[in-house]
Amino acid sequence: MYGGGNVFEATKFDNLQTEDPAKLAEFEARIARGEKIEPKDWMPELYRKQLIRMIEQHAHSEIIGALPEGTWITRAPGFRRKMAQMAKVQDEVGHAQLLYSAAETLGKTREQMLTDLINGKSKYSNVFNYPAFTWADSNIISWLIDAGAIVNQMANAKGSYGPYSRALERICAEEAFHLKYGHDAVVHMATGSSKQREMIQAALNRWWPPIMTFFGPSDKMSTHTETLMRWKVKMASNDECRQQFLDMYVPKIWELGLTVPDPKLKKNMETGQWEYTEPDWDEFKRVINGDGPCNAERLAVRRTAEERGAWVRRALLNPKAKYVKPLA
Amino acid sequence: MSLKSLDPRVTRLNLPEGEAPAIEPKQELDQFETYEAFHQKKDGAAHTYVGPVHAPNEDVAFLFAKEQYSRRFTCVGLWIVRTEHIQVTPYVGDQENVYDMMRVEEPTERSEEVEAYEIFHLKKRGKAHAHVGRVMATSYQEALQEARKQFGEKGPIVNVWVMKSKHVLQSAEEDKDMWTTIPEKKYREAIAYKVMDKITKYKEEHKTTAS
Repeated sequence: MYGGGNVFEATKFDNLQTEDPAKLAEFEARIARGEKIEPKDWMPELYRKQLIRMIEQHAHSEIIGALPEGTWITRAPGFRRKMAQMAKVQDEVGHAQLLYSAAETLGKTREQMLTDLINGKSKYSNVFNYPAFTWADSNIISWLIDAGAIVNQMANAKGSYGPYSRALERICAEEAFHLKYGHDAVVHMATGSSKQREMIQAALNRWWPPIMTFFGPSDKMSTHTETLMRWKVKMASNDECRQQFLDMYVPKIWELGLTVPDPKLKKNMETGQWEYTEPDWDEFKRVINGDGPCNAERLAVRRTAEERGAWVRRALLNPKAKYVKPLA
Repeated sequence: MSLKSLDPRVTRLNLPEGEAPAIEPKQELDQFETYEAFHQKKDGAAHTYVGPVHAPNEDVAFLFAKEQYSRRFTCVGLWIVRTEHIQVTPYVGDQENVYDMMRVEEPTERSEEVEAYEIFHLKKRGKAHAHVGRVMATSYQEALQEARKQFGEKGPIVNVWVMKSKHVLQSAEEDKDMWTTIPEKKYREAIAYKVMDKITKYKEEHKTTAS
């Protein structure tokens, strides 16, 4: 699972003047024909940098996103739910593995990515800096955060980079279970006792503001964004993803008799667009930069796992081994 | 002060609270070497590329790949190859045939004996390489020439992977039972969750109480 929230600001690689014009034309023509780019192809630096950043953030989000739900495995009510929750968390960690490999094909090693995550240099989806207080919070994450992630991932699977598309196809196939599992868990609570209904409504109230920031702020349309869209790196704007999510899931929330904690939320029938209270982007920025309720804990847990496993990795290392980038 | 978490297991780790100093950059190969994995969906089907794994050796790579790529969906066979043992041709366009586009070089060195090579084709960019067959040759170049003769005529071929059969760790016939429990784990399938039934029932009951 993963949210957008990618901020595609211009980088110093934005200057396409430095790229070989013939190669750039060939690269653009390939994408325009609908062909995918494979790791051995020539690609502009901007394309490479943005994809590394995007796939790496996606990978980190999978591995950190497993933590708030992993918390609830031992306390999930009933054996079947424990099994399902465990299978879901295992899927998320597996997704991180797939994505780290896809990013590696672009030239950043897994070691560098993990170092950057632990040192706070690389970001992950901001929603995972919020806590899962109760089992109901875990259900809301399983359903709505995964739903948001699927909107994003389905769009990105149509992107131009072969290894990322292949990883996302596999990921989307596995996520189909997450979505149904999450929905089922929420429905169970919402159609249960009054105490269960209260719990799920409270969790929804807590998670709604982070969910609304999940796709990131409105994109500033610039030539930079246009370039990334033409290259099929960015497949949909953050607002388009948010609208699609609201369209698909608000009715499903309402049909359970649950309420969304935003008095302004409604679909404008004339424009076909959802209207809502603008999310608190100052809080979003503050949390993404480290000052959220769980940032420190998430990284401390990841760091500890890395440190405590280090001796095992050292003991297993074959001294003759040499690193080769994955092929595809 | 140690870190207090909503998760009692995290609290029990006694992690120091507050900002930790940056870690040293990880050493090269901290995450091990790379291997490529190929799975077989059903008996008789070609082995198809599923993706890479990182592992300290071939056997562990097999276990990781089994978990990573054949945990959720049906599988009857798995092949593992160390990435550095695979020779790769250039990639051409989706409408082209790589065998026609490249000069298959005369072998520079030949081994004494003929040995088996496995050949994989990529038919379309973004899709997965699939096994097309095995050739006998004395070198990678000769294997590619042989592959061109035997499999090179059929439509667009974007890219070819060549590897020695002896470098491929293959699951055996009697290993197949490791995948027999997949269909039993229904709780991992979307279809196991009859959400609509519950929603319909709820709406029905809700309607009755409301009226």
